[in-house]
This record gives sequence, structure tokens and C-alpha cells, in this order.
Amino acid sequence: MLFFSAVKGLLPALLGVGFFLFMGAASLAALLRYSDISSWSEYLYDPYLWRVVRFSLWQALLSSGISLLIAIPVASCLIHRQFRGRAILLQLFAVSMVVPTIVAILGLVVVYGRTGWLSQLFGVQIPLYGLVGILLAHVFFNMPLAVRLLLQGYGLIPSGQWRQASQLGFSRWSAFRLIEWHYMKKVLPGAFVLIFMLCFSSFAVVLSLGGGPKSSTLEVAIYQALRFDFDLNKASFLSLLQVSICTLFAVVVYRIAPINQQDASVLAVKSYPVKDTFLAKGADCIALLCVLVLVIPPFLAIFDPIFSPLFLTTLLSSGLWQAVLVSLKIALPAAIISLLLGVCFVVLARFCMARHYLRVLPSKLEHLGNMILMVPGLVIATGLFLWLRDLDWGFQSSYWIVVWVNAVMALPFVLRALMPVLYQQERRFRNLYLSLGIRSWSRWCLEWSLIRASMAQAFGYALLLSLGDMGVIALFGSQGLVSLPLYLFQLIGSYRLEEGACVAVVLISLCLILFYCSSRFIGGKADSGKMAGGRSLVNH
Amino acid sequence: MKKLSFSTLLTTSLMTLSATLGVAFSSATLAAETLNVYTYDAFASDWGPGPKIKANFEKECGCELNFVALDSSVGILSRAQFEGKSSQADVLLGLDLNLMEAAKKSGLLAEHDVNTSAVTIAGGWKDNVFVPFDQGNFAFVYNSEILKNPPTSLKDIVDNQNLRVIYQDPRTSTPGLGLLLWMKSVYGDDAAAAWGRLASHTVTVTKSWSDAYGLFLKGEADVVLSYTTSPAYHIVAEGVTKYKAAQASEGLYPQIEVAAMMKSAPNPELAKRFMQFILEPGFQSTVATGNWMLPVVKLNEALPAAFDSALQPTKVLTLPAGDVATNRKAWVNEWLNATTR
Repeated sequence: MLFFSAVKGLLPALLGVGFFLFMGAASLAALLRYSDISSWSEYLYDPYLWRVVRFSLWQALLSSGISLLIAIPVASCLIHRQFRGRAILLQLFAVSMVVPTIVAILGLVVVYGRTGWLSQLFGVQIPLYGLVGILLAHVFFNMPLAVRLLLQGYGLIPSGQWRQASQLGFSRWSAFRLIEWHYMKKVLPGAFVLIFMLCFSSFAVVLSLGGGPKSSTLEVAIYQALRFDFDLNKASFLSLLQVSICTLFAVVVYRIAPINQQDASVLAVKSYPVKDTFLAKGADCIALLCVLVLVIPPFLAIFDPIFSPLFLTTLLSSGLWQAVLVSLKIALPAAIISLLLGVCFVVLARFCMARHYLRVLPSKLEHLGNMILMVPGLVIATGLFLWLRDLDWGFQSSYWIVVWVNAVMALPFVLRALMPVLYQQERRFRNLYLSLGIRSWSRWCLEWSLIRASMAQAFGYALLLSLGDMGVIALFGSQGLVSLPLYLFQLIGSYRLEEGACVAVVLISLCLILFYCSSRFIGGKADSGKMAGGRSLVNH
Repeated sequence: MKKLSFSTLLTTSLMTLSATLGVAFSSATLAAETLNVYTYDAFASDWGPGPKIKANFEKECGCELNFVALDSSVGILSRAQFEGKSSQADVLLGLDLNLMEAAKKSGLLAEHDVNTSAVTIAGGWKDNVFVPFDQGNFAFVYNSEILKNPPTSLKDIVDNQNLRVIYQDPRTSTPGLGLLLWMKSVYGDDAAAAWGRLASHTVTVTKSWSDAYGLFLKGEADVVLSYTTSPAYHIVAEGVTKYKAAQASEGLYPQIEVAAMMKSAPNPELAKRFMQFILEPGFQSTVATGNWMLPVVKLNEALPAAFDSALQPTKVLTLPAGDVATNRKAWVNEWLNATTR
């Protein structure tokens, strides 16, 4: 009986997850209804398709490989060294992951383009349009993400091990080899898969910096099939191919990789210094130099146009503020829905966690939420639109489709922010709750101060991801539904780059303000500074 | 164990909040007397012919003309197909000769009753769905101050390995598709090899005409695929004479841009009126110095002198529309395979 009453209490969460599943299934079904599966075999013989697949794989492997390769020494350096600007760097890493793609591309063009800083200062010409441009952009986005994931891995190292290393006089290299690497290699496969998927389905970067059909990805092919050929059949086939490849990749990596156990020792860790050597200093310098070259200049470039006289005139244009309004109108509801969905997932997962016979479910739920990384957002949006169109809801629904798809796309990041902390509370207090009979509302009230920072982080991520979305809005956007990134894209498309750069400043400022507000008002005063660093241990 | 009432509360309150937000922000529904014309962004933009046409048409129809700007001409058709019968579009403006068959096949377009006998296109105009609104010829444009020995044929452009070329993707832009057919009509079965030779000195293949032309103006390439009338723009609008269209001894490939009305047009009467209006001076007089293409009917006043320098083709190459429709996919694949090897 107790079980059933518990399930009754779970109803909202079940409804939330059920709605998520239903919408996914319905859009998939709608898309399949419009496609002719018997003709799919002919696509398999298209050599261009396989070239696209090969390029998608190749650039994703390179991007995630390079990102991790740079991230490992950077993370180690950040753990062992205190230096001026370290806190700012950590903040920057938190934001750069969710910088709107289109803004980052603009920054990259200003730095690495033919008339960019690099060619002006050093006369170096980089073939930006093609693989090099794609890699530069992907490393810019994902190296900071990788560093943050690795730092989380560092959090699992018990302080006893550091103390011992310190007492035994370990050098940095032995500390890395004997301690850090063991924890890192548990985090690496997950990070690799995540970054691989983000890069494999990269869209705006490839469309802007790819430079033609030679370096195109599967996601761009899907966009082309939908947007230009309106070939639903091909789009369904391609997206199924994409899902299969990503799934296969994830399965293979997880098979050969050690399991990353969520440890409860996430509380602040005290660390002890290890012996510094000349070699270690050199390695750290090189690592930081990489960051200095790859991450900082595009950021600075984004803010460069503040000093241009065009900036004020851009600020006065009504089109800009219209776009800001549309962006807010999309991002706020999307972030709210995403957070709600995330809470539904976590509540279910927590319920299952405590029950032995449901033990396998939490990780399954997490995978379900992450599934969305494999399915192109464009495809979900199209399926959803076709389904609603058949129900005669027409094009008026497109606004809600954009909101919903953005919410769903942010879900993996919301879950990543929410799950560890909420799991931890469940582990710590479960028996106490049971013995004292504390339930529902009271539980949330008790936990609120502990979880609000992660809630704020989840909300902030969802908000920023939706604010910067270029995929779904590109499919639906037209007059009346021009978001800030789309407005920016249109300006760049007509080569009004300078004006575009000014709009980019507005977009990134909006992102920073909203991120700050969400961490300040949801996260609370004390945690707002800490949030960006992720765990408290990062600021030890 | 009712541990979820908090999330229930949260759900309901936030749902209400987001719903309110949605309603508060959503734009007012369109008035009944609005004609929605889907077109490409360059046409509707402030510097295109769109605003003038809007003013001219609104003067006589007593309605509102609303341009919905999409990112390319190919995008116009796919957007209409995407929306299907629920589309708000009355008229699609900006498809071209080579997309006509595909557009007809979608089953979305209605027949017009416009008298097209005054149309000045070579060979006349006989089509019961589409009305042409401007015409021109594709050509490679170069900067005569930089390029001292300009190419004189398409073969020159393909084979000169020192020439940095930018052109458009035939899957996403009509000039790109035009070049595909131009190459096909000049090279025939050897087109794949020619594409291969061109690919080795291509800077980039862009999504749309404006991307390509913008890069060219910034000095990223020696020649760019555009129109014979493009130099006229620089002369009339900027007083710059250095940009010229390259000769092509094999002949030029024409572009004729067309419009059609939707079967499901919410305002069929206005749409019909607009289709008539396309061939009237109120529309045609804006074409030359707005869209930088040639009008399709004879106008009372002459075009600016700059247009006289627009190359007269030695020969107009046109592939039959039926052939284009049946082979388009195969030819695009041929191009893809040849350029990405």
C-alpha cells in the first residue's frame, strides 16, 4: 500500500516524463509517416553521404581529442596552482560553454579571419573556412567544458591521497601518474562521448565556417534536406543514421571504459601542495598559453565593437530590441520547462534509487534525458510541426515548438547540473527523512538551501542555451519570429559584419546578465560566486 | 508519501507564468486585408525593390502588403511545402525557371489568369502557373583594376588554376543551380571532370548569392558568380566602374525569376490582383535599379545607361525545363561527387 501511495505522489513527475516521451514518439511517428522507408536502401549507395559521415566522424574525433588533450594539463594546472586571474578564468570557462555559437563564430572570424587580428599582427593567414575553422570553434567551446568535467573528477580524489603525496614528496608528474590519472580516466570516456556528440551534431559552426560541401556534417545535410529540398524521407533516414552512429559510438566507448561511480565525497576537499619542479612550471605555462591563445582572444574580440561609433546606432535600431524580446519570449519559457522536466526526471530517479528492485532505473532515466543529444533538434522540431499541422494547428504552433525543442535540447545539461547534488541529498538524508516522517514540501524546504545553487546553474544553462539557439529557429524563423541569434545571422549573411558584431555584444551581455540574475536570485547570494566554479573544491 | 506536492505547485505556477508570458508577447493576429508574399531576403530588404513595390501596390489595393523574407529562393518553396495547406502565403515571389517543375509538382500552386502577351522574354511566355517578373544572365564578375587579363569564356574560368573563384551551392541558391546548368550545357558529359578542375581553385562554395558577393567585395576572390547586370549596380548606386562581367564565348545562361499564387491563399482576390500587378509599371519599373535585373515588359522610360554595358549574350544557352527537372538531382550529385573527392 505504501508503494501505491508513493506512486500516487509521483504522478506529476510521471506525467512530466511521460509527456516528454509522448512528444518524442509523436514527432518521430509523424516524420516516419511522411517517409518512404523502402527507398532508404538507395541512399546507402550514395558516395557523397558516406563522405559526409566520414567527415562528421573525423572532425568530431579530432575536436573532442584535441579538446581533452589540452584540457588535461589545464585542469591539473588549475588544481595545483593559485595565480592572479584564476577565478576569472574559471568563470570564463563556465560561460564559454554556453556562449551562443554564432557569437563565438564572429569572435573567431575577428581573430583568425583574413583581415583579422592574427593576420594584422603577425601576417599569419589561416584557412579559416574548412576543417581548421571548425576545429578552432569546437575547441573554443569544448575545451572549457572538458576542463570543468575533469575538475569534477578531481573532486573525487580523497584528501588523504593528496596528503600522502605531499608527505612522500611527489613531483607533479608522479602525482599525476599515480593519483590524478586514475580518477581522470574515469571521467574521460564520459567527457569524450559528450563532446563527441556535441561536435558530431554541430550545425551553426559547420554552416558558417565549413566553406562548402567538402566539409559538411550529417546535421548540415539534414538541414539541407529539410530546408531546401523539403525531402522528409531523406531527413528521416539521415537522422536515424545519426542516432545510430552516436549510439554505437557511446556504447563502444562505455564498454571499453571503466565505470564512473558517483561518489558521495563531493564535500569540500582540502588539498596539500606537491613538490614543484621546473618541468612542471614549464608544462603549466604551455597549458595556460594554449588557453590564452584559443579561448581568450575570441572573447575579447566579441566585446571589441563597444568602442565603435556604430555601436550606439545599432543600439537604437528597433529591429534589435524586437529580436531581444523574441529571444526572451523563447528562452524564459524554455528554461522554465526544461527545469521542470529536469526536476521530474530527478524525482523519479530519486524514488527508484532507494528501492533495490528499481536500482537500474536512475541511470536509464539519465540516459533517456541524454538521448536528445543524439537526435538532431531540427528533426524533432520538424516531426512535431508535421504532427501539429496534421492536427490542423497550423503555423501558429511554431512558437511553442521552438520553445519546447529548446527546452528538451537543454535537458541533458539541466540533468548534469541537478542530478549529482540531488542524489547526494537523497543519500545523506534518506534515513533521517524516513525516521522523522518528513515528506514532500518539507523535504524540498529543508533541502532548498543545499540545492538552490545547482537549480540556478541548471536554469542558467537552459536559459543561455535557448537564448543562443540557431538550429530550430533557423527552420521556423521568419518575420515576427526573429530571435537575436537569427537577426545576427541575417546581418552576417548580408555582410554587415560590423553591425553584427555590435548585436553580438548585446547578445552576450544579455546572456551574462541573465546568468548572473539566475545565479543571484535562484542560487542565493552566498553561492553566486561559487557557482561558476562548479564545486566548492575548485576554489580550495 | 506525497513528496511531490512541491513540484506540483511549481509546475502549475510556472506553467501559468509561461502561458501568460506567451500570450502577452505573441504578436497580434494579422488583419484580414493583408496579402502575404513569400520572397527572398534581398528582394524584401530596405535596399531591394520590396519597399517600393509595397508602396505602389498598397496605393491602389487599399490593403497591406506583407513581405515574408526567407533566406533564399529555394527556401521559399520549401517553406511553403513545409507549411502545406496551413500556409499563410498568398503569393510566392522569387522562384526561377529551373525550380518551376519542382514547384508545380508540390501541388500547392494555383493557375493564374494574367495576360502575358506583352512579356519580352525571347520566345515569349506560355505558362499557366507562373508569371515572370525579371530576367538576366548569369556571369562571372571581376574587379578590372586587379584582374588585368579577365577570362573570356567559361572554359577559361574552369581551367585557369590561378584564378580564385567563389560560387554558390546549387542546392541552396538559384545562381548556383544556374552555374550547374551552364556547366552542363557547355561540357555535357564531361561536366564532372570540369567541376573537378574548378574545385582545385575554388575559395569557397557559399550558401547564397549575398554570401558569395560579399566575400568577393572583401577581396577574397578574383571572380564571383553573379549576373551581367551586377556592374550596373556599382555604376548607378556607387559610381564605381571597376567591376565588370566576364565575357563567355560559349554563350550565357539566362535566369528568369517567376511568381505564382497559392491554391490555399487566404486572400485569393488580392493574390490575383497582385499577379496582374507584377507585369504593370508599378512593379516592373522597380526591377532594374532595385533587384538589378532586367524588366520583362517594355517600359516607357529607358533604363539607366549603365545597363547598356550589360553584356549581350552571343548565344543564350537554355536546357529544356523537362530535362532540368528530371536530371537535377543526378546533376547535383555529380557536382557533389566531383567537388568533394
